[in-house]
Amino acid sequence: MSEAPLPTAAELARANEELRYQLEEAHDLIHAIRTGAVDALAVQGTEGPRIFTLQGADQGYRTLIEQMNEGALLLSEDATVLYCNACLAGLLECDLSEVMGSAFETFVPLAFQEYWAGLLLKGWEGKSKGELPLQTRSGALVPFSVSMNVLSFNETPTLAVIVTDLSARREITAIRAQVAEQNALLDRTNAELKREEAARLAGERAAAEASRMLEGISQIAWTVSPTGANTYRNRRWYDYIGQAPGEGPGIGRAWRERLHPDDAAATLARWDESLRTGAPYEVECRLRDGAGGYRWMLGRAQPSRNEQGEIVQWIGTYTDIHEHKLALERIDQGQRELRDNNDQLTRVNVDLDNFIYTASHDLKAPISNIEGLLDALLAELPPEASQHEPVQPILALMHDSVNRFKRTIEQLTDVSKLQKEHGLPTEPVDLAAVVRNVRLDLEPLIQSSGAQLEVDVDAAPNVMFSEKNLRSVVFNLLSNALKYRAPDRVPQVRLRARPEGDAVVLEVQDNGLGLDAANKQKLFGMFQRFHDHVEGSGIGLYMVKKMVENAGGRITVKSELGQGSTFLVYFSR
Amino acid sequence: MQKLTCALLVDDDQTTNYLNQLLIKRLNITDNLLVALNGQEALELVKIHCQMATPDCPALILLDVKMPVMDGFQFLTAYNELPLPEKESIIIVMLTTSLHPQDVDRVQSLNIGGFLNKPLTKEKLNDVLKNHFNRHLPE
Repeated sequence: MSEAPLPTAAELARANEELRYQLEEAHDLIHAIRTGAVDALAVQGTEGPRIFTLQGADQGYRTLIEQMNEGALLLSEDATVLYCNACLAGLLECDLSEVMGSAFETFVPLAFQEYWAGLLLKGWEGKSKGELPLQTRSGALVPFSVSMNVLSFNETPTLAVIVTDLSARREITAIRAQVAEQNALLDRTNAELKREEAARLAGERAAAEASRMLEGISQIAWTVSPTGANTYRNRRWYDYIGQAPGEGPGIGRAWRERLHPDDAAATLARWDESLRTGAPYEVECRLRDGAGGYRWMLGRAQPSRNEQGEIVQWIGTYTDIHEHKLALERIDQGQRELRDNNDQLTRVNVDLDNFIYTASHDLKAPISNIEGLLDALLAELPPEASQHEPVQPILALMHDSVNRFKRTIEQLTDVSKLQKEHGLPTEPVDLAAVVRNVRLDLEPLIQSSGAQLEVDVDAAPNVMFSEKNLRSVVFNLLSNALKYRAPDRVPQVRLRARPEGDAVVLEVQDNGLGLDAANKQKLFGMFQRFHDHVEGSGIGLYMVKKMVENAGGRITVKSELGQGSTFLVYFSR
Repeated sequence: MQKLTCALLVDDDQTTNYLNQLLIKRLNITDNLLVALNGQEALELVKIHCQMATPDCPALILLDVKMPVMDGFQFLTAYNELPLPEKESIIIVMLTTSLHPQDVDRVQSLNIGGFLNKPLTKEKLNDVLKNHFNRHLPE
């Protein structure tokens, strides 16, 4: 065009007029097409005008397309916009005429040209769908979705494209997502808050319940947080320390500050351990009261846990065990003293046993010497001297004394032998046989006293004992029953045996002299004699008791002065 | 009865020795009676008189158990170690007051003629003579 001569003003005016006419014509045509008034249109192409015909039947669709809320356009094979609806022009912020007949890729941003070309290619093959931003006249990029279909107009293929504005949807989706996220956050926060609140309420309820209960109990009670910080002390505690709640420095109200110095280290260690491990706390310690005195307390605490098993607080008590503790200490002291006494008595007993043995042993030599010397002297004396007064009775009395001395020593020797007899083997002994035997030995005494002896041992024919000792026991009891008879009545002696629980009881009952209560105590002592008219050593019952006790049994006596006595021997089986 | 050549009394109790001497003398058991007051003295006498068979080597030793310086058991231990030519012709009898069970075991394990409970009597002496010397006192 630059080579052409410059047109004159008249030519320009004419051309202008022509263009305006063409423009008006185009406007009319477009209008006609859009309204369905025209069925065909001619588009000026490089190879001359091309005619596009619209079928009359399509008029209804065209109206629909014009009115719909989506952008719609038809593209020719060279991607020229053959048609577009008002909505699309509006979306692109252009006039219809600006869009129609333009190359559509002018609206496609550079970065999406390739994508667009791909969509077109696919579209021409049949169908395609995609999303891309388009540039409006103002330069803003607006997201759209496009969907393409090949249509045929008068055997000329065209590509029908529906363009949907996505910006609103995107925005809503974004907002929704944001809202959803926000809501989720809110929900979480709410749930958390609710849980915390519930936990707090539960904790408070538990604490309140605990304190209500703890207020009423007779012990000192307290609660602390899981870390050990005090949360509650009941009235008993304030009574104990002689302060009102809140009075004085806080530190003075804590039990840890009131521990006896001797107990503090161990007690605190125990408590710290419980706090660390959750193990129940139990300790005995002394706590200082309001007057500055210390009393023994039994301290106990248990953790209380929530549903998750976490410790929410510790509930503890202090129970005053002062009197109890002191009583225990007194008992302890008493027991120690008893043990000491016992040890001492055992030592004395051993000494006594040794003494008896040594005495009986060492006295033997001098007494047999005296006896020997007496005999020697007798041999030296002329018969006229030794057989007459006063030498004869003197010698007789000396012999008597020597004999008594010897007998006593014999008995002492027996006793000392008995002491060493502990753990003598026991065997089942035929009681009836032993009784028969003893009876034979005592027959002269039975005869002379006219005693009635009744024996019944069928219920317990055997006794676990040493036979020699059993004989000794039976002999002593029977001979005592006969010796200590009442002079004014016929002696009646009953010897019976029967099983009783784990023991066999041998019972010897007489109707003799009997004993008063005071003598009963001494009856089983060594060298105890209550009657001087009867020959006796005072050692028999002592020996009996020793024998029975050495074998794990015991002996008791029931007696009434002037009525008689009953001896009961319990042989353990 | 044939008398013993010699007898030895070992006891720290002078009265016992006196009475036993009196008894032995009265019963004419020996004309040669030696007395020692403890095991040590007895051991010296045995050493002196029994190295060679002499009339003063006792055929019978009556030995007390409890004595100062050297008691009966200690004497026996020392005696057993003496190299004597005619030990088997020396009879030792222990005299005790009462035998502690523990002492009974000890006595029985010793190589001695026997033991007697004090006091010594004619009957007891007669038993010893019968058992060890095959002779007895006249009735």
